[in-house]
Amino acid sequence: FIILPPDMHFHMIIVAVFWFGFVDSRKIRGISSSYKRFFRERKSFLCIDGSKIIPFEQVNDDYCDCEDGSDEPGTSACPQGRFYCTNLGFRPHYIPSSRVNDGICDCCDASDEYNSHAHCQNACWNLGQRERAYVEGQMRTLDEGLQLKQQLIEEGVLLWREKQAQLRELQQVAEDLQTKLEERRSRKQEADRLKEQTPRPPEAGDGQNSTVTGTFKLLDSNKDGSITVDEVQAKVALVHDEERVLSEDEAVALLGGDHQMDLTTFQHTLWDILTNGGRVKVSALSNTFLFVFLSDLREKLAIDYGPDWEFLFLNSQCYKLKVYEYTYTLCPFNQVTQQSTAGTEVSLGRWGMWEGPPKNQYGRMVYENGEPCWQGGSRSTTVTLTCGTETALRSVKEPSKCQYIMDFQTPVACQPVLKQRGIHSEL
Amino acid sequence: MGGVKRSIIKMATFTGSMAPVLVLWLAMSLSGTWAVDKGNFKTCDQSAFCKRQRALKPGDSPYRALLETMELTNTRLTLQLINDNNKVRLLLELYRLQGNMTRVKINELKPLKPRFEVPDVLITEPSTEPLSLLSQDENGVVLSLGTESQRVIISARPFRLDIMEGPEVLMSLNSRGLLAFEHLRMRKDTFSYKVTSTVASVWDNIKRLFSSQAEPEGEKKEEADPANQAEKEEEEKVDGMWEETFKSHSDSKPNGPSAISLDFSLPGVEHVYGIPEHADTLRLKTTDNGDPYRLYNLDVFQYELYNPMALYGAVPVMLAHKAQRTTGIFWLNAAETWVDISSNTAGKTVFGKMLDYVQGSSETPQTDVRWISESGIIDVFIMLGPTPKDVFSQYASLTGTQSFPPLAAVGYHQCRWNYNDQEDVASVDAGFDEHDIPYDYIWLDIEHTDGKRYFTWDSHKFASPKEMLQALEDKKRKMVAIVDPHIKVDSNYKIHNEIRNKGFYIKNKDGGDYEGWCWPGSAGYPDFTRPDMRAWWASMFAYDQYEGTAENLYTWNDMNEPSVFNGPEVTMHKDAVHGAWEHRDVHNLYGLYVQMATAEGQIQRSGGVERPFVLTRAFFAGSQRYGAVWTGDNAAEWDHLKVSIPMCLSLGLVGISFCGADVGGFFKSPSTELLVRWYQTGAYQPFFRAHAHLDTPRREPWLFGPENTALIRDVVRQRYTLLPYWYQQFYHAYRTGEPIMRPLWVEYPQDPATFALDDEFLIGKDLLVHPVTEEGARGVTAYLPGKDQVWFDVHTFQKHNGAQSLYIPVTMSSIPVFQRGGSIIPRKMRVRRSSSCMTHDPYTLYVALNLQRTAEGELYIDDGHTFNYEKKEFIHRRLSFAKNMLSSVNLATDAEFSTGSWIERIVILGASKPSKVTLKTADGQESQLEFDFDASMSVLTLRKPGVNAGLDWNVMLQ
Repeated sequence: FIILPPDMHFHMIIVAVFWFGFVDSRKIRGISSSYKRFFRERKSFLCIDGSKIIPFEQVNDDYCDCEDGSDEPGTSACPQGRFYCTNLGFRPHYIPSSRVNDGICDCCDASDEYNSHAHCQNACWNLGQRERAYVEGQMRTLDEGLQLKQQLIEEGVLLWREKQAQLRELQQVAEDLQTKLEERRSRKQEADRLKEQTPRPPEAGDGQNSTVTGTFKLLDSNKDGSITVDEVQAKVALVHDEERVLSEDEAVALLGGDHQMDLTTFQHTLWDILTNGGRVKVSALSNTFLFVFLSDLREKLAIDYGPDWEFLFLNSQCYKLKVYEYTYTLCPFNQVTQQSTAGTEVSLGRWGMWEGPPKNQYGRMVYENGEPCWQGGSRSTTVTLTCGTETALRSVKEPSKCQYIMDFQTPVACQPVLKQRGIHSEL
Repeated sequence: MGGVKRSIIKMATFTGSMAPVLVLWLAMSLSGTWAVDKGNFKTCDQSAFCKRQRALKPGDSPYRALLETMELTNTRLTLQLINDNNKVRLLLELYRLQGNMTRVKINELKPLKPRFEVPDVLITEPSTEPLSLLSQDENGVVLSLGTESQRVIISARPFRLDIMEGPEVLMSLNSRGLLAFEHLRMRKDTFSYKVTSTVASVWDNIKRLFSSQAEPEGEKKEEADPANQAEKEEEEKVDGMWEETFKSHSDSKPNGPSAISLDFSLPGVEHVYGIPEHADTLRLKTTDNGDPYRLYNLDVFQYELYNPMALYGAVPVMLAHKAQRTTGIFWLNAAETWVDISSNTAGKTVFGKMLDYVQGSSETPQTDVRWISESGIIDVFIMLGPTPKDVFSQYASLTGTQSFPPLAAVGYHQCRWNYNDQEDVASVDAGFDEHDIPYDYIWLDIEHTDGKRYFTWDSHKFASPKEMLQALEDKKRKMVAIVDPHIKVDSNYKIHNEIRNKGFYIKNKDGGDYEGWCWPGSAGYPDFTRPDMRAWWASMFAYDQYEGTAENLYTWNDMNEPSVFNGPEVTMHKDAVHGAWEHRDVHNLYGLYVQMATAEGQIQRSGGVERPFVLTRAFFAGSQRYGAVWTGDNAAEWDHLKVSIPMCLSLGLVGISFCGADVGGFFKSPSTELLVRWYQTGAYQPFFRAHAHLDTPRREPWLFGPENTALIRDVVRQRYTLLPYWYQQFYHAYRTGEPIMRPLWVEYPQDPATFALDDEFLIGKDLLVHPVTEEGARGVTAYLPGKDQVWFDVHTFQKHNGAQSLYIPVTMSSIPVFQRGGSIIPRKMRVRRSSSCMTHDPYTLYVALNLQRTAEGELYIDDGHTFNYEKKEFIHRRLSFAKNMLSSVNLATDAEFSTGSWIERIVILGASKPSKVTLKTADGQESQLEFDFDASMSVLTLRKPGVNAGLDWNVMLQ
């Protein structure tokens, strides 16, 4: 295809007009074919809103007669008017009448500048090419994205089940602990009453294998499959008359002189100590941790991860992007941070909610209550999700102080509905 | 933009790496609330010379005119004055200036060193007219001031000056005896003083020995000596004469006391105006119970309303008005100045005044004014009117008129601190198209630079400024980038190195380059008082110097008071040195020079072809010649919206017409209602720019829901339809010096009901605007002036009689605007993306008939952006309607310009229905015009005359 000069193009339109069976000897400038019926009568023109009848010579005579602007579709005379760009080869569209002959090329077919100093080239074919290429690319992305999304949905469902199982398990641990605690409390009360000095009964678990994993998981705060000194210190207490926190050395000792321990080792060493030793126990303090953890998990599972839990996989992920001197980190459903090259980290908000428009509810998420701002309020971030084959943070902007917007691309944002959009041209 | 605290926010946010100590300091300074910290700025009591001078109370003046020293030439009178207390002699010069003005200059006869006289403000040495002596005796002299039965009476003892017309005293000088002139002197405790005074007394003795006859002066002097001595000793005890401290800042005052003061009495006057810039009512208040109005260019953070504190600019011009006459006082002094106003009727109730009248015991109302300046000389121009427009033209003949801006600058400006990067600029630009709102300029604040180094671009955020400018140019739009006068001290910065190497920086008192703290951190301040510095600065705007710039980039000068964050009162130390002068002498001139040099740079870069556009925050008398001013860092509050009217009216009265306030308010975030009302008000003020602080949420017009977008779109479009009228007003202001936005009393000087009005105003003489400035308003009461006058609501065409207060119900879309019956206003109804897109568009003429069924108006057309209008390339036509005929005749037959614009439509308000309408063109051809008549509103619309706007034509209604 070659780009036609504007005059050639004009002929082409006329040919096209004949082709479609509209037998008009005079073209009314600035209207779409669907409006031609209003201009068929050649003696007079009834304003489309029906307000006035004018002689047909006054149509497109560069003076606005109709309140609704309908008599001047091809000039700039009417303030409410609009001009139809046919844009053969690209997308037709309307522009406000005020852009007709204003010296700026608006229609890619240059039809809006028929009487101005602007030198407009017909760029529709090129634009069309580009648009088609773009749309094809989008389509490919969408196809690919939708496939990936399907996988992610499947994974999401599995993950969801797994998390639910974890929740149930932890709830079990919690209940057990609760029972033990109450038992101990009543025994202690009894003991106190009798003022007897008897060895303490085993605290956590009575060799029930089922809770080995549970306890291990409870101790393994960061869920990396091994427990560390910190984790032991956090949840295991030394019992004399009072509970007290373990020192680092004591914790290391409990871990068998090592700094971490996996489940298998745990089962054969620490688990025994915890169940039989009597001197250390999974602390009552850890109830707090446990319940915090539990409620945390419940909270997390209460989040809306989409109809098919397709956003669930984002939960434990973080995505980074460097913009000028700052590195931004988005941890979906958790928080957004900004780190300067100097290392200072600032919170740009914690997970708030989905805030997409009704048509695309999962199109936007909001993170709120970040670091406070100088003039009151706190930082917040709005994340727009767009369809892409990779999951990545694409851009970060701060249009107003302390209000960040992010463009976040992920296959799960791909919507089948997008597929129906595309180029459709009237001609 | 704002003061110190603004920097803080910026730095704290953008430089997380800043040392903790600094952040702490910043945080401490931020603790203030949303109001000016008054403690940062001096009261009269804290300003040593003001306190000293204000301590003098009215009474007999110690000054006596030595009539025997009088010399009268054709152009001037000189006369010595002597202070009987200290024997110091002054030289009085009196000139009669062309155009009904009198100039009075008073300097020391023999100052120890020259005293500063303000250069570069007068456009030329004013032309004089002959003075003639009418009579003289030992008590005084009577001089004739030309032909108008005007006389000056100089009384000798005490010295006093009265200007009379017929039997009426127009103005008296030193009638309250407050003339004061602190002569330059040697410091007593210094060695050189002792030597000099010893030599002087020896010389006195020798003189006395040899004089054959004891001259009376000498005798008196001897008599006076002991008292004189006592007074001198007294003087030394007064604090602040040789050193002054304010907060942690000390002013070394090497020249000692040098203040001057003079009083003016205005018989019959109850209304005085002017002396901007103050956030106060249009009518100036008496200052007896508080501080005087202060004129000292300062960067006041979050300024407070309705008080006499100094702000960013200073124009020492006051207008005095009474029904019969308007006069003006132009006090040409650039040092810190205070103005006291008192009135014998102030505080009297209307009842009290009536009682006086009934009892016949009323003394004539009188306003007394007193000017006090820290240094320099007394150089005062007394403009004798008699009409307001005479005063405008008198003042314009001294300091020039409003520069004629490019047409685009009269359009809408979109600003924000800051548009972050090129993408941001592109998306805001696209937003205007998407929402079909016109605009002409998008602005970049300080963040666009490379680390606040002006004349540079941030290499990440604005990596390809030329492309950005070209993209705007493609839409026929323009950009303004900020260039402030503080220069980052950085040896890798070309601008700094050149200024330092050329020795162009202002010096500190010890001779080194003055350094202060401003946006970039440590900064130097170029000495703009030097012509060679200004020439160099101007050359920096050349396209090959200021990289990344193009024809559609213009400039904004902020912080040019100058603002110095760590200086006394957030400005420069008074003992900083500008060549032979101290900063004290030139302070209020600095901002004018910055804008002058910048505007000159813009003119030069186009080879003198294109008109510049430069916005300034600081200004002085004469700043009107260089561009636009705005009212600085206001706040998003209803009262700030209200005060924008008197603030711009006051500026207009003293020649600065191109004035506006930040639409929406700079600090804080406006409610949607306030924002819409502010757009509606700003659209009818000369400089129409929205601006917002960095910390505020975005507020581009489309961010407040479709309804509010529509309201804002509508009013911005109203502005654009009226651009032909606005542009003609700017041309008129450029030609005459008359204000564009003007108080009602200027057009109705005999109607006392207009004298204090400052919630409504006129644009030119034909449009009356009463913006809605009250929250939740259901209606406004507008005063429509003029007996036998009618006014037409421009939206509904409803006719209202003049000389009445009219209640107008309002909705959110209302902005009460009225066209005067008897006027013709041209509009362009095809509102497009920018003003340039509308160049070739046709005109609609709105002809509003008065009760005599006549109307007049003008039409001015030129290319809109070059200086070719100076070469008579324009169209200027008079449109007049009389005897049922509307005609267009050439007002400038020696001018030539061709336009493609034509007359699209003529709307005649207050018309009756014709049977036939005939258009007759210059070639004699006649044709019938179709028309439409709305009987309910008496509006006749003539359809498509189609005649070229530059030609002669007429339309006959039959």
